[in-house]
Amino acid sequence: MALIELEKICKTYRSGNLHVPALVDLDLQVDTGEFTALAGPSGSGKTTALNLIGCIDQPTSGRLRIDGRNVADQTVPQLSDFRLYQIGFIFQSYNLIPVLTAEENAEFVLMLQGMRPEERQQRVRPLLERLGLGGLENRRPSDLSGGQQQRVAVARAMAARPKVILADEPTANLDSSTARELLELMRELNRDEGMTFLFSSHDPLVLEHAGRVVRLQDGHLVGDERKDG
Amino acid sequence: MILWKLAFRNLRRNRRRTLLTLAAMVASSSLLILSLGVFSGMFVDMLASVTEQYSGHMVVAGKGYLDRREMHATMDQAQAVTEQASRLETFRGASPRLRSFGLLSLGDRTQPAEVLGIDPTREIQVTQLHRKLVDGRYLDPDEDHGIVLGVGLARKLRAEIGSELVFVTQAADGSIGNDLMTVRGLFDTGSVANDNGLALVPLHWLQETIALPDQLHEVAITLKDPLQAKPTAAVLAGRLDDRLEVRDWGQMLPEMAEVIASYGASTLILSMILYAAAGLGIVNTLYMSVMERTQEFGVLLAMGLHPAQVRRLVLLESTVLGVLAMVLGATLGFFLTLWMKTVGIDLSGSISSITYAGGTILPRLHAEFEFRNFWLPSLLLLVTAVLAGWLPARRAARLQPVEALRED
Repeated sequence: MALIELEKICKTYRSGNLHVPALVDLDLQVDTGEFTALAGPSGSGKTTALNLIGCIDQPTSGRLRIDGRNVADQTVPQLSDFRLYQIGFIFQSYNLIPVLTAEENAEFVLMLQGMRPEERQQRVRPLLERLGLGGLENRRPSDLSGGQQQRVAVARAMAARPKVILADEPTANLDSSTARELLELMRELNRDEGMTFLFSSHDPLVLEHAGRVVRLQDGHLVGDERKDG
Repeated sequence: MILWKLAFRNLRRNRRRTLLTLAAMVASSSLLILSLGVFSGMFVDMLASVTEQYSGHMVVAGKGYLDRREMHATMDQAQAVTEQASRLETFRGASPRLRSFGLLSLGDRTQPAEVLGIDPTREIQVTQLHRKLVDGRYLDPDEDHGIVLGVGLARKLRAEIGSELVFVTQAADGSIGNDLMTVRGLFDTGSVANDNGLALVPLHWLQETIALPDQLHEVAITLKDPLQAKPTAAVLAGRLDDRLEVRDWGQMLPEMAEVIASYGASTLILSMILYAAAGLGIVNTLYMSVMERTQEFGVLLAMGLHPAQVRRLVLLESTVLGVLAMVLGATLGFFLTLWMKTVGIDLSGSISSITYAGGTILPRLHAEFEFRNFWLPSLLLLVTAVLAGWLPARRAARLQPVEALRED
């Protein structure tokens, strides 16, 4: 069974009397351990698809199943818990919590899950080291560079070992060498930890690193390309 | 725990705004505590103006005397009354008195006056008139023809220390009682009624003059706690001869009793008016803070924070602000009240005494401590802070993560 299944998913935004289709009859399956990029120009529906899969938005029609669970059947608190335990987010503009340190940001989801401080530290410290953030644990986001902030965001998404990590344009605000470095790191983590990554991006660098590229245009799926190895 | 950490750090995030809001809350709370302390001081003054300058906290008299002030309604159980009263837990002092209404003359000037026959050594346990002297001295224990007058009465008679006054009244046996009195002292209580119409004379002299030997009209009693007067009066009444009746100051001055009883409601209304303004300030601060953090709330919700936890986070921020303001406000209020109690402000240069509800409000600002003057404003401030946080908290909890994330 696929980890993520989208079946005839439609999403239409309403602006006054105007109905703007963002996704049209999208069928997509993503298996566990994939490193997939949703590619396409602006307005193609990439971010919308990611938001639906992240359960922070609802489809207008169609069926979405994640890990065998029909998302439409879940209550608001169940969806919150589902996001807390099964999904990790990496945002384009990092979106770290400014009043928390790098380590506290990375630990945040674990704190919400109620994990004890020693366990959290055991989980997060090696991750921060691996992401090149050793020695920066006590810095606030405002004292970190864009690349460092995005690494903290990656650590935050990965720390709870969710089933899937959703990354919306993760390299958009990074220079190319930082972006490459980060992508290689995520690919490495994907291989080592077996975590499923799903990106939205039109950055050629992301597409180059992706194991699978799903192309969208005007809300339609127009291509699905898998690479070897 | 993480919500507490976030709440504290969020409050420190925009320190100037938090400090300004906190300052407004502390100022409202401490000034309210001070105002209530001043009100308490005013009530204490008003009560003292009556009880400590004239009536005492309770009066024991022959049945009917207190309503009609009829000269013949006398009593002679001074010893028994004093004995029973002294066994009361809150007893402080008792003074036997005889009263007469007559005319005081000096030269061609005549004024009506209430002449109160007292035992000076006993009376100072009940009233504080001996401390209100502005000229001369108080009556001596062995005084014979001495008289102490209110300053207003002395002014009308143009009397001064050493002046000889003629006192004329009707005696109990139908004759005309009259005698010469020498002015020994002048008191100024601030109470118009006392200063313009009261004179103190030796008890035994008045008993002879109005032909009521060994008779009294009342025994005035003071207690350590005037607020215990009502139940204490009931206890004393049960122990006395049924030809006597006991009245507490609340029965003698029902208007003042009502004023003091309505004080609780006035306090609540005053607090609510003041805190309505402070509450709007908190709502404004928290709303701005929530609006500025819309995207952050979107992130928190996306990461799995429940809407109820988001609501709790904002409420925690307002509660922390409320608790801080409550502690600081009560502390500042304590010191302001202490200052107003020990130093006070003298207003006698610009205003004079005001008689209200039977008591006298002195031309001064001075405060008294009362526990409820602290707990009520403090508790209401905390409630205001929590209520003020409710709307912003609800807004934050209702955010849709995907829409919140789009906010800049």
